[in-house]
Amino acid sequence: MSKLVIKHKTKEKIGVAIKIIIGLMFVSPIFIGLVFSFVPDEELYALPTFRTIVDNFSVNNYIKVFKTLPIFSYIKTSLVMCAIVIVAQVVISSLSAYAFAFFKFPAKNLLFTLVLIAMMVPGQVVTITNFLTIRRMGLLNTYLGLTLVSFAGGRSLFMFRQSYMSLPYEMKEAATVDGCSELRYLFQFAIPLSLPSISSISIMLFIGEFNAYLWPLLVSRKPQMYTIQIGMAQMIGSDAIPNYGRMMAVAMLSLIIPIIVFIIGEDYLIAGMTRGAVKG
Amino acid sequence: MKAEKAVAVGRQLKRKQFTPLPYILLIPTMVFLVVFTFYPLVNCIRLTFYATDSIGRPGAFVGLRIWKKVLNSDEFHRSIVNTLKYASSIGIGTFTLAMLLAYMSTKNVKGSKVYQTMFALPIALASAPIAAIMTYVFSKYGIFNAITGSSKIWLSGKTLFPTVVFIVIWANSGSSFIYLLVGFRNVPLELLECADLDGASPFTKFFKIYLPIASPQVFFVIFLNILSAFKSFAMIRILVGTGDSELAVLIVKLYDYAFVRERYETGCVYALILSLVIFLVSRIQFVVEKKVVFYQ
Repeated sequence: MSKLVIKHKTKEKIGVAIKIIIGLMFVSPIFIGLVFSFVPDEELYALPTFRTIVDNFSVNNYIKVFKTLPIFSYIKTSLVMCAIVIVAQVVISSLSAYAFAFFKFPAKNLLFTLVLIAMMVPGQVVTITNFLTIRRMGLLNTYLGLTLVSFAGGRSLFMFRQSYMSLPYEMKEAATVDGCSELRYLFQFAIPLSLPSISSISIMLFIGEFNAYLWPLLVSRKPQMYTIQIGMAQMIGSDAIPNYGRMMAVAMLSLIIPIIVFIIGEDYLIAGMTRGAVKG
Repeated sequence: MKAEKAVAVGRQLKRKQFTPLPYILLIPTMVFLVVFTFYPLVNCIRLTFYATDSIGRPGAFVGLRIWKKVLNSDEFHRSIVNTLKYASSIGIGTFTLAMLLAYMSTKNVKGSKVYQTMFALPIALASAPIAAIMTYVFSKYGIFNAITGSSKIWLSGKTLFPTVVFIVIWANSGSSFIYLLVGFRNVPLELLECADLDGASPFTKFFKIYLPIASPQVFFVIFLNILSAFKSFAMIRILVGTGDSELAVLIVKLYDYAFVRERYETGCVYALILSLVIFLVSRIQFVVEKKVVFYQ
């Protein structure tokens, strides 16, 4: 009997090991990028061998990149943009969701339908006219221009609403009987108790905004306002002879933050993705 | 005295008295939705009837001329074909890859979190750095040729389309993997035990148990990928550019007309056609879902 259990356990361990190896192969492009970011550009104009990597290993690419490109400015722009969007959406959605979760008022259904319709409008479709609006407002190359269109989000509003509605009704009743006003209930109970939702929303928004491409491409025209994605993309195909080593170095610098955030916040991100996404 | 107060409070709870508070709470959301979703949508429709200048101001009214010009052009027909080809390749490819990975990770055992995180990792990766790595991997002297011994430039000519599709499938698979994993883990244990007792093969278990029970997620993921392929712009722009190619899909044309050539009205026509395509596919999803999907 015990032999069987042991056999079963070893089998399971071998299975896990094989799957981890498959996983490593699956994410191998990142390791390839990492390894070749330490190989000088000149060595990559011939087929690489194992010796190319070992013999030429150096951090020169990174030094060159830091000297020639304002990488920290790119990353700063990206982070500030993320922070503004996260704060704005959490504040705006947490307030508006409260109206939908706890009040009955005339035109509630109409307004709710408007939010649903807005969620169905693909972002790319309004990109052109939003760009014209932002330019007319003189907001090109500003943080406001980068973020203003993302201040309201149907998705975060829904997540807040769901979180509020899952709070026990008795709690609200008890608070009201004790003379707790609506606003006080919102700030003292509903929002603090929605912390898991806030984490999910923040992590989803962070990864989405940090990795955004089309909108920053349109709004950030000056290198001082490039986000890291735009800075990275400008490097690709811009030189007649590509500097692959330096490109890999910038790629690694632009991947590191979202990967760390993903690994730390994976559970919240998955909760946010799957909550209410699929029926059943 | 106390009882009276409680009754009064109770009445107050029941009575639907008018308060402006919900409207005040909704103002910011509604303002932003109107200014950055509804107004631009209406404006986009309006612009297609005018000749616009280089900063997007409508000039002379031209009626349906721009619509006719676009709908009759060869490049529009090509972009529709490209879009359908691209979206179906991405939809099928990503679903297949994610399903294999999810089926592999179904069991929650010690250490499974490690490979689960690796399979989901593409969620966190942006298009630009992936494109940077991949242009090297698939270049003439890249690692792919070093391994396979060929000397092709993969991101050009006939191999351009399959190579880009391959890269995008990999980059998209993370979120599909997560949804399918959730679906597969919903399968009740006793059902699997019964199947094991009856001697069902992994193959049978997959098709007769996992797929039907995870059918909401399976269905969702297939359409999610088709819909996201309609919107996938970054990878194509960085790897291929926005010129004429097999990858000149609708969103690429939209960008090319509006932001490269500054023909905003033509860009808006492409934007509206793109949203019509997205809308139609969502409708198909809705209708088919009711017929095929099995809810527990």
